[in-house]
Amino acid sequence: MADSIASFRGAALRVFDLGIGQMLWSRRTLFMALVAGGPVLIAVLLRVLAALPVFDGGVGRIDGRPVSLDGPDIFGLMIWTFYLRFTVPVLGVFYGTALIADEVEDRTITYLFTRPVARGAVLAGKYLAYLVCTAVVVLPSVMLVYFLVVPLLGGSIGRNFPVLLLDLGLIGTGLAVYGAVFALVGAWFRRPLLTGIVFVFGWEPIVVVLPGYMKYLSVAYYLQGLAPHAMPQGDALSVIQAALTSVQTPLGTGGNLGALAIIGAAALAAAIRVVGRREYVLGQ
Amino acid sequence: MPIHYHGYARYAGTRRPPGQAWAVIAGAGLRNMLSARPFLFVLLFAWLQFFVRGVMFYLAANVPQADVIAPSPATFRDFFDQQGFFVFVVAVYAGTGLIANDRRANALQIYLSKPLTRVEYIAGKLAVVMVFLALVTWVPAVLLLVLQTMFTGSLSFVREHAFLIPAITLFGFLQVLLASITVLALSSLSTSARYVGMLFAGALIFSEAVFQTLRGVTGGTGLSWVSFSANLAQVGDVIFRIEPRYDTPWGVSLAAVAAIIAVSAWVLVHRVRGVEVVT
Repeated sequence: MADSIASFRGAALRVFDLGIGQMLWSRRTLFMALVAGGPVLIAVLLRVLAALPVFDGGVGRIDGRPVSLDGPDIFGLMIWTFYLRFTVPVLGVFYGTALIADEVEDRTITYLFTRPVARGAVLAGKYLAYLVCTAVVVLPSVMLVYFLVVPLLGGSIGRNFPVLLLDLGLIGTGLAVYGAVFALVGAWFRRPLLTGIVFVFGWEPIVVVLPGYMKYLSVAYYLQGLAPHAMPQGDALSVIQAALTSVQTPLGTGGNLGALAIIGAAALAAAIRVVGRREYVLGQ
Repeated sequence: MPIHYHGYARYAGTRRPPGQAWAVIAGAGLRNMLSARPFLFVLLFAWLQFFVRGVMFYLAANVPQADVIAPSPATFRDFFDQQGFFVFVVAVYAGTGLIANDRRANALQIYLSKPLTRVEYIAGKLAVVMVFLALVTWVPAVLLLVLQTMFTGSLSFVREHAFLIPAITLFGFLQVLLASITVLALSSLSTSARYVGMLFAGALIFSEAVFQTLRGVTGGTGLSWVSFSANLAQVGDVIFRIEPRYDTPWGVSLAAVAAIIAVSAWVLVHRVRGVEVVT
């Protein structure tokens, strides 16, 4: 038993070593750089705006309207709109589904599966590579946004630093759980990307605002429950979600973390099992 | 077995006038998509709203107490709004691989070595996506209008809101064209349909995230032109003669939509080439 675990771990680390290079130096990195760099660009833009008379020398007025948010509030808003609702699920879908689907599409899965390593170790290694790769790109982006945005309009970098740590942990957790879920989707479904997109942009935004237990069948509900910032209320769904959150009993940090850990571990285990047992037929 | 001499033989088939080859590309694409059963389920699911609204129209026409759900021009506007998700899904399903798969298989050179121009090739591919998107937007919207007339047994609603037919057609065309040409342009940029799907989703969601952030910061919606979907929504409100939802002038939103279409067309024309010169 111990030997097989050690062998599995060794194989996974070898695949990780191979996968990290492929992931970091590929065309996809461009996509990831765009996804992670977008918020930084917006943060730079806000800094430039803050330096211009648009913000009335730091008082905070745009088009004559007072800006009611300060730097930490804007940072919280960006964490919600860019990272929790966009970057984390999008990168999870894109990379998670690609872990196996890429090999099937490129017809290279045969070569991986003919190596003397457990099939599950291939997925585990690639999943680890995904985690490191996305964390290396996304977390610095969050830190840059923090240092660019928080000092705006009287915000304090030092006072809000614990919030940044919470956000980094939250985004890392999100990447891990979404990655595991979509690794399972990629291993299981024939059209994993479409399934992933429907789940993230069709299923999750709807179920988190439905009363009852449906919201428990999502990742977003638990992840958003951990966010240390107030939920922005731009669109109708956000307003409903905020209203529902105020009348419902939240799961609490422990409950949300536990649920995310269970979802992530179960999805990864299921993905490893599916990859280990499934016969991939390469189409013409 | 005698061996016959095969020399030059004149083409004996019928000659089609130029400019019709796009229909071959479109026909092949449509048949290919319709042979995929999951895609048919997606199309069927996209009609769910039509059935629900049909029942509501029936109740509004026949149950006096159901006046509150009686249709209005805003109902048709809402219909298009709520079909937005299916427009996205169908565009990803039907459109992402249309050019990317040809580029992946190096089939573009073969296509363009036939009596088929680049414009015909693009038009054929565009027709495939546009037909399927029209099937989930324009067709059910027009049928809803027909249903409304049939349930009430009167043309009074159509007469009172005569602008609805051109509004449905114009907005349907705009929505379908914008999604189709954007996804095709992205498809021409890559050899992986999955990558294209992600780019398309990323562009839509990212632009919306930028808008939501700016909306939160500024407290207004004057910068809605940065979002693809907000631009379309703003123009749609004007076409359906209802109060525009954002502060951005609708002309700016229309210009943004036109710019996206123009850039996509430019990308298509420059990326769809039979020969790539590599330096």
